[in-house]
Amino acid sequence: MQSTEETSRKPENMWKDVYKKLQKQKSSDFQNYRIQQVDGGFFEKFGSLLREHAELTAAREAVEKRRVVEAFAQAVPARHDDDDSENDRPLPTVESGDEASLSSDSEVEGDKDRTELIATAWNIDELYCEVLYEILHNVGCDVALEVGQTALFSYAQDAFKMPNDKHHHFMELAEKKEAPELLVNVEVIEAKDLKPKDSNGLSDPFVTLYLATNTTHRYNTSVKTMTLDPVWEEHFALPIAENNKQDTLCLEVWDFDPAESVKEKLGKIFDVKGVKGMRKLMKEIAVTATSGQHENELIGRAQIPLGTIPASGMTMWYSLDKKNKVTRQGVLKVRIAFSSEKNNQVAKQEYRHMLRMILMHELEVSKVAPHWWCGSFSPPGDQLLVQHVVQSGIPAVEALLCQYCVYAFVHQSHALSLTLFANSLEKLAKPMRTDGVSEEDCKLFWDATKRLLPSCFAVVRKIRKKNCNEKTTMKQVTEVLKILNHIHSLEPPANVDLFPATSYPWATSADCADRSIPSTLNDAVVRGASDWLDYILENNERPDESDVSRLQSLIQIIQLVRSDLQKAIEFYDKLFQETVNFQYAKALYVYYQVKLSTMCEPAVIEICKNLKRLNYNGTSNNENAPDPLSEGTSLFELYLAIQRFATLGQGLCPADYDSFHIKNFHQWFHGGVAQWLDIAVYKALQRIEKAVELDTLTPVDNTVKYSSSAVDTLTIFYQVKIFWEQLNWPDVESCYTFIAKIIDDICRCSVFYADKMAERVDGLGDHSDIYEKRFEVTTEWCLAINNIDYVRETLEPFTKDLGMEDIIEKISELKSPVEAQRCQHTLENVIANAIDTVRNKIVELLETVVSKMAPAMKRLLIEGAELCNQDSNSIDRLMMYVDNNLSTLNRELNEENFDRTLEIVWDMLAGTLKEIIQSNLDKRRPPSFFANLRKTLNLMLGSFKNPDDYSSCDVLKKTENLLKVNGLETADLIHQVHLDLAEDFRKAKDSPFGEISVRVKFEENTLTVEVINARNLIGMDSNGSCDSFVRVHLLPEHKFSGIDKPKTKTHNKTQFPLYDEKFVIKLNPEQRQLEDGLILFSVKDKDLLGYNNQYIGEAFLSFSDIEDTVQSVETLSQIHLHLGRPTEKFMASDGIRALEHRQGDKLSKDFIKRFKQRMGT
Amino acid sequence: MTTSNSKQTNMRSVTKNTLLKVVILGDGGVGKSCLMNRFVSNQFDEHSFHTIGVEFLNKDVDIDGETYTLQIWDTAGQERFKTLRTPFYRGSDICMLTYGVDDKSSFKNIQMWKNEFLYYADIKEGTQFPFIVIGNKSDVVPEEREVPLLEMETWCNDNSITSYIETSAKNASNVQEAFKMAVQHWLRLESRADKNDPVIDDTVDLTKKHSDSRSSCCIGAGDE
Repeated sequence: MQSTEETSRKPENMWKDVYKKLQKQKSSDFQNYRIQQVDGGFFEKFGSLLREHAELTAAREAVEKRRVVEAFAQAVPARHDDDDSENDRPLPTVESGDEASLSSDSEVEGDKDRTELIATAWNIDELYCEVLYEILHNVGCDVALEVGQTALFSYAQDAFKMPNDKHHHFMELAEKKEAPELLVNVEVIEAKDLKPKDSNGLSDPFVTLYLATNTTHRYNTSVKTMTLDPVWEEHFALPIAENNKQDTLCLEVWDFDPAESVKEKLGKIFDVKGVKGMRKLMKEIAVTATSGQHENELIGRAQIPLGTIPASGMTMWYSLDKKNKVTRQGVLKVRIAFSSEKNNQVAKQEYRHMLRMILMHELEVSKVAPHWWCGSFSPPGDQLLVQHVVQSGIPAVEALLCQYCVYAFVHQSHALSLTLFANSLEKLAKPMRTDGVSEEDCKLFWDATKRLLPSCFAVVRKIRKKNCNEKTTMKQVTEVLKILNHIHSLEPPANVDLFPATSYPWATSADCADRSIPSTLNDAVVRGASDWLDYILENNERPDESDVSRLQSLIQIIQLVRSDLQKAIEFYDKLFQETVNFQYAKALYVYYQVKLSTMCEPAVIEICKNLKRLNYNGTSNNENAPDPLSEGTSLFELYLAIQRFATLGQGLCPADYDSFHIKNFHQWFHGGVAQWLDIAVYKALQRIEKAVELDTLTPVDNTVKYSSSAVDTLTIFYQVKIFWEQLNWPDVESCYTFIAKIIDDICRCSVFYADKMAERVDGLGDHSDIYEKRFEVTTEWCLAINNIDYVRETLEPFTKDLGMEDIIEKISELKSPVEAQRCQHTLENVIANAIDTVRNKIVELLETVVSKMAPAMKRLLIEGAELCNQDSNSIDRLMMYVDNNLSTLNRELNEENFDRTLEIVWDMLAGTLKEIIQSNLDKRRPPSFFANLRKTLNLMLGSFKNPDDYSSCDVLKKTENLLKVNGLETADLIHQVHLDLAEDFRKAKDSPFGEISVRVKFEENTLTVEVINARNLIGMDSNGSCDSFVRVHLLPEHKFSGIDKPKTKTHNKTQFPLYDEKFVIKLNPEQRQLEDGLILFSVKDKDLLGYNNQYIGEAFLSFSDIEDTVQSVETLSQIHLHLGRPTEKFMASDGIRALEHRQGDKLSKDFIKRFKQRMGT
Repeated sequence: MTTSNSKQTNMRSVTKNTLLKVVILGDGGVGKSCLMNRFVSNQFDEHSFHTIGVEFLNKDVDIDGETYTLQIWDTAGQERFKTLRTPFYRGSDICMLTYGVDDKSSFKNIQMWKNEFLYYADIKEGTQFPFIVIGNKSDVVPEEREVPLLEMETWCNDNSITSYIETSAKNASNVQEAFKMAVQHWLRLESRADKNDPVIDDTVDLTKKHSDSRSSCCIGAGDE
């Protein structure tokens, strides 16, 4: 019996290879595909292919994300993009709150912005004149070459929106203007306790200064709205005529246009935004300023004779008074000093104003797109500014600082390139740090920074919704981070509130006092994520309110969030970390994990709680897949989605992960696992059924003896395993239980497979023609059996693969070794049961095969018995049948199963034979019938490759013996009985009946028997003693007819008789040569009358045990023989029963009758 | 052929026992595991642990000369194990509802256990199922007893449960009897079912569906 099943010999390897192999085989691939169709690739989604699937999903997510982002960006364009549009289009609800607060935000800023513009405008004439003067007195030849003076004049006129006549007027003035020899530098610092002029009890004060000798040459501060304690801190330089040292400085505090507050006035033109609006406002104000047609109301004035001021200058509070008013109108604080050249502060203020005018002009003229302008002016503009810096002697750093301030200012209404600020800060950071900047400039710097920051954070917040390519966003973010980094490196003065609450309505930090760049950045990041998530939630469409759609929508959200994180990691995280040491992705994760947890947990728990039990109402009608199925599947998808999200978190925040709520996400799903396991079984059963259906019952290749469905079934198991791996359940106790369940389920699948396989081959190999019905063992049958066995063999390695040992070990750690052991026993029990049950199935199937062969074999036996000695091709045919079938089995089955088959065949044969024997004994068939039957049986057994095999089958052996016995002629049978009895006695260790000693020898054909004595004979008489004699018989009786049966004398009343008699018996050579000849010593008790001698006991001596010698018998050693009687058991032996059946046979009848006497009483 | 002989040792004998899946249910601490251990290995451990999820043991019993292999699933009674144990209900042949006679609430919960079983085992409504009610810890002193036998009998009668018994895993009283009673109950229902569904089977037929469905260790509803 050579097994060629090398490949299937190593279940572990086989198991590992199955999947690979399957993938390799094209045909199986196709098959696999067809099996998948049963459930639409359920396991492929659920299990192994999920991994590949995940990649696809990722790609899809990317597309999906882009789609959402685009939609989002379209719906909510960046605020700055909106500047040029005339109409306020409604913002989407998601953003509306935020946007609204943002716009109110900018209104606040706008107010200041515009009021300062007013101030600028009011000094426009002065400034313009100064600019013209500077053009006339350009220094350096280089600039002059580039832009001609005329061009500069017309540029300035445009930038300042000067009408021609005024231009000419100022031109004249500028031309006449000489460098002043003496200047009075006035800083208007602040005022207090001003009289209210407006209906609201407040005023919008500004200060006008002029010299008494030149009342038309007035200077104005900016207007401070709605205050009675304004702070200006503005600088002015007033030229003093040489001879006018006695001049008086007049300071007048006015309430701006009390009929209409600045706010109202601004409100009118407010709908026009940005540069355009500015321009319009400025024009209007410029007209008002020059024409003097305004309705301002004087609050009070102070007059300071220049003579009272010391050369070193002074700072003083002056009380304000008004004609015809006795009461004080308030106090005004000013610093006054003299200098011979233009005060640096004044020059810078002028420079800032110029910068703004020119920048606004250029932005308008060149229609620069938002975020675009990066510090390049047109040549004339540039020249004007450079000239001012040079002519006023502003140091480079201070000029830079002025630029920074103005840009930050303009940035609020017209976004400039962030690179501009990043670069400025780069240059400013060092002087700022090293205190190389005056307190005043420092203040301006932080004020500008305060204005700049919100837009920076806005970029971070809106990192996702830029409707432009990643590159631009990246660039912007890079600049923002640079800016933030620079600012963070500087220490703002204690009195600067860098983060006014109004600018940060979105910030989540509770206390704005604690706000810092990092905390606000964190807020911005989180807020950005939150806005985005809100938007996604808002736009996440669900087709209906079913749990499945709920789950699907959650899955989608998680996928989107994951891809957002992915993007964060890929693009921004490094940037944030390197530039500002901020863990961007982590911050996002921390936020998302909380959000997703709060979103998913209740939903999952609720859905799990309401899961409907899966109904197995058959495995074939997959048409109307039950709802719980898709629900369970979706739930599992969600589980995997969250799992992937959680895994991301583990990598992203290894230190904090343990504190995250999402860490225990699996617990939410606890109720669902049972359902998933059920689904897995349900699907597995479906697939197995399909696999069996598709199985053509041909070996998958020529090296193996199993067919496709076995491989498919293993693949399905593999899928279940993958499912289990995917589940990756962290809780040990549950894990153990789930594994028990999976093993139990796999067993169920195996049994199911066995059943289906049996059904599949049932009916195969049945042939019927006009002569007979018969069954041929087919390759299909054998494959079916091998298939089941193949599946069975994988059960154990499969369970190992599930990680059972690992779990047991963990239980041992978590609980106790004792409990772990109990768990292990349970699992082992389940596995053992599974394997046993499947093995039972195999045996069952083998039994079927054999039972199908049985009728033919039975007929063979009977016909053989009847027709043994005749030539009959019927017997040949039957022999061929058995031979063919057995060789098929031997060829196709593996060794183990073939052995099993043989066992069953032996059993079957034994049963069949018994039946035949019994019925034919009943029919009183002659011994020759049984002898023929036996011959046929042996003939048939000969066709088994190893006929000795049946020796392992006791039943068959016994039956064969029965057949042998029944096949003997009566005389032979009687001798057989004696032989059996002799064998029976020989086995006795001891005897209750006594012992006899003899010496026996052969010499040629002469037998010499010396009966010496007997011992311990059993008492037969009433006195407890006996009167014994010994008779010597030679057996078989019919071979020794005519030979004497000598007997000794009777020895009365002794249990230890000494016979000492010698008998010499002549035999013929034939008798001497009898192989199985026996000497029977029967010891009897002599009855008084001699008719009814009772048996004391008997002993046998086989001819083969007798020495053939020339020595005299007296020299031989004594032979001691136990006496025995036939037992009840012996009476039931095959031989006796066979004799008993021969009722019509006198010999037999007599023998039995006498034999019974030999049992004693 | 020594090899083939050695193989026969792991070959299961051709004759097979009927396999019956038994599930033991009841509140935590009523002694389900003790009952099973007493039945299977005749051991009793006063300080046994909570069962983790499920435990599984096999035991043969002889009834009227037939051998039945009981596959006993002992379950964890604690609520937190609910989702872990319910998957094992499916395919059960016998359900043992267990309470402690010294614990009234465990008795009250029998109804809950019965319902849980019927739901998760997917038993069709209206079908007879071999439930057996077991009052364990019958060894407690009378003062500690909270559920009188009569009360249990009344409940069983009200719920048409004909098999009930009080046992003590501690002193081994009635434990064997309880399991045998359960199998006998199953037999009664089974023979009734067979009568309703006679199988004419004079040819040797492999696909003996009826015996099949009983002889697998993990039969499920999936194979009908």
